[in-house]
Amino acid sequence: MLVLSRQRDESIMIGDNIVVTIVDIRGDKVRLGINAPAEVPVHRQEVYEAIQRENLRASRLEPGETQEIGKLAGRGPVPNAGNAGEPGRS
Amino acid sequence: MRINTTRFGRIDIETGDLLHFASGLPGLEDCQRWALLADAGNDALGWLQSTSRSDVALAVVSPRRFVPDYQVRIPRSELTPLAMRNLKDAQLLVVVAQHNGSLTLNLKAPIVINVEARTGRQVVASGDLPMRYELVGHRSPLKKSA
Repeated sequence: MLVLSRQRDESIMIGDNIVVTIVDIRGDKVRLGINAPAEVPVHRQEVYEAIQRENLRASRLEPGETQEIGKLAGRGPVPNAGNAGEPGRS
Repeated sequence: MRINTTRFGRIDIETGDLLHFASGLPGLEDCQRWALLADAGNDALGWLQSTSRSDVALAVVSPRRFVPDYQVRIPRSELTPLAMRNLKDAQLLVVVAQHNGSLTLNLKAPIVINVEARTGRQVVASGDLPMRYELVGHRSPLKKSA
């Protein structure tokens, strides 16, 4: 792993079109700004890895295990995440 | 075209019905071509079958069938690779998994399909959505009480 020290408002370039900027440092939390092309997904690592694991687990499901699904319902309400299509980054 | 599948045997697919996932799926990055199959016994269920790996298929459902108030906020950066500006013309699917004998839906990472372009992508929705939203009313055949 390449380890660099940066202060607030300083940046790192990854490749020739990805820029990571230290937007704020507060206590033990760092706010990072990421400028990357639209087609490059950017995610918190633990979220992406969790989705990977979940997909691999799901990919083992067999039709025999899903027979009852038509009779099922969701358990409880889901937090309302708001409207679709809102921009997540400038 | 004819493809082999471990769950459904050999099946014929129209090339025009294929879906192209440029980034594959997280954990299945090499699987870029998929066919969306209807489940034979269940109109609530579909199977996203990889055309390159016969053993890889994901059970998928339309989320609002099970979660009527499901709303997602998806960053524009997640939609741009699909050449979409909003979800109006998209087909939204969520992946089904099994945990501890219950079927669960991944509401955090739905699959968005640009129906006209036949492209798709799994996106990460904003907000505190569960990756394992439990469906109830299901009794696993393995769970027999003593």
